[in-house]
Amino acid sequence: MIPQDLHLAYIDPGSGSMIIQVIIGTLLAAPFVLRRQIGRAYDALRRRKPASKSERDRLAS
Amino acid sequence: MTAEPGDGSFRDPSGFIYRREDLILRQVNRSFAERFDDLRASGLLTTLQRQGLLIDHEEVDPSLAAAPALAHAVLQPEPLAFVSYPYEWAFGLLKDAALVTLQAQSEASAAGFALRDASAYNVQLHRGRPILIDSLSFERARPDAPWRAYRQFCEHFVAPLALMAHRDVRCGLLLRDFIDGIPVDLAAALLPGRTKLDVGLASHIHAHAQAQRRSRHSSGSSGASRRMPAIAQTALLDSLRRTVEKLTWRPAVTAWAGYAEATSYSAAAARSKDEGVRRLLEAAGDGVVWDLGANTGRFSSIAASLGRTVVAWDGDAGATELHYQAVRLGAQPAVIPLLADLTNPSPGLGWANEERRSLVERANAGVVMALALVHHLVIGRNIRLAMVAELLARMGQQLIVEFVPDADPMAQQLLLSRDDVKPSLTIDGFRQVFEARFEILDDVPIEDSGRRLLRMRRR
Repeated sequence: MIPQDLHLAYIDPGSGSMIIQVIIGTLLAAPFVLRRQIGRAYDALRRRKPASKSERDRLAS
Repeated sequence: MTAEPGDGSFRDPSGFIYRREDLILRQVNRSFAERFDDLRASGLLTTLQRQGLLIDHEEVDPSLAAAPALAHAVLQPEPLAFVSYPYEWAFGLLKDAALVTLQAQSEASAAGFALRDASAYNVQLHRGRPILIDSLSFERARPDAPWRAYRQFCEHFVAPLALMAHRDVRCGLLLRDFIDGIPVDLAAALLPGRTKLDVGLASHIHAHAQAQRRSRHSSGSSGASRRMPAIAQTALLDSLRRTVEKLTWRPAVTAWAGYAEATSYSAAAARSKDEGVRRLLEAAGDGVVWDLGANTGRFSSIAASLGRTVVAWDGDAGATELHYQAVRLGAQPAVIPLLADLTNPSPGLGWANEERRSLVERANAGVVMALALVHHLVIGRNIRLAMVAELLARMGQQLIVEFVPDADPMAQQLLLSRDDVKPSLTIDGFRQVFEARFEILDDVPIEDSGRRLLRMRRR
């Protein structure tokens, strides 16, 4: 199912573009994972934190 | 029944768009049969459609194919009110189209597929939201393959958005010359040096341009066989999304964006004009409304409130942006705000000048509105009144036009800077010129002003 031929790839991906995206993606992978972990930890903390007074007021109204 | 080729899909070997009678159809070619069956069975198309990322379609009788010998299937996509091009879009629309494309690629990647192309022409504004319109853009991808459409995404979206945000919003018009997207080396040369300090633009434009330059001088592999771990692919998409989201442009108070608040109408005149436009639109009956010189959309919204689809054109990027943002907030999903200079509208572009059709060729209006516009063309841009009438007649069957006398303060303001133009426009002269191309059906005064609204039918 995975195309081996490229006749259907009717746009030119550009060899420089293919190479640079591998480099960019690889370099950004570690900061991306770190940011994602921090984001998840922050979300988990927020869920645990009791609702603030303003939130309680909003929910009550 | 004859089949006419549709808009610019002829370069795609997997299938093409065509018109048969009143239907717009997409043929899936036999050469793409296995891949299409795989795509259909994967459920990806349905997932994307449910999320509002891809236009809905239904499969119809294959006998409706344009080229039956080559056909595997025929799709009937949900019809679009109007097909517009990226060089006619507000900054915000191009940005939202970029984000929709990235989201679709993320979904496709999660399902083991990839967008084969990331063309801005594959996105259209539909019911107030940008949506992908090419159901054949997806194919099964090797899990560790780089994204083949990365370069195209940068050239169709990142480069123009960066230039519009960091250099000048009018750089969006470069897309008219560069129909395959703004080359990243050109964008790198035109962008201010400070953009090299932005991680996203430094990566996707500046380093990208450098990599392209290097690869041209080396005889290495095409790069297609390179491997890219899944996490690197996700990080790349995340970086592209963050780069696009960071690009912003806010209109300054330009001549037109501030025009709505700075007209010469008194409150009574403004109310009378609103009522007049509404009454004449009701009398004009059904059909798509083209609002020429729409500014931020005051009269487009009156047409939309009557259930009409509106294609709203303005020559000012700021006004079009404000109008688009209003549509985006859900106020008027039936309005399509677009950018055009009526004295130099979009030409036919691409192969044989037919790949992207000219603005006039795409005119499909039941009703054309030209409100507070004609005096700008005649006095400000030296277009003869008869030529204005001729163009308006080519655009739609009915016309609602505003007559502005020379004595009007706004006309006087235009005449002030034009020693070479003598005031000569009277309502009788105006009617006489338009009667050569139209039958005048209504002529109503706008209270508390010398202006009038006229409704006409093309002869």
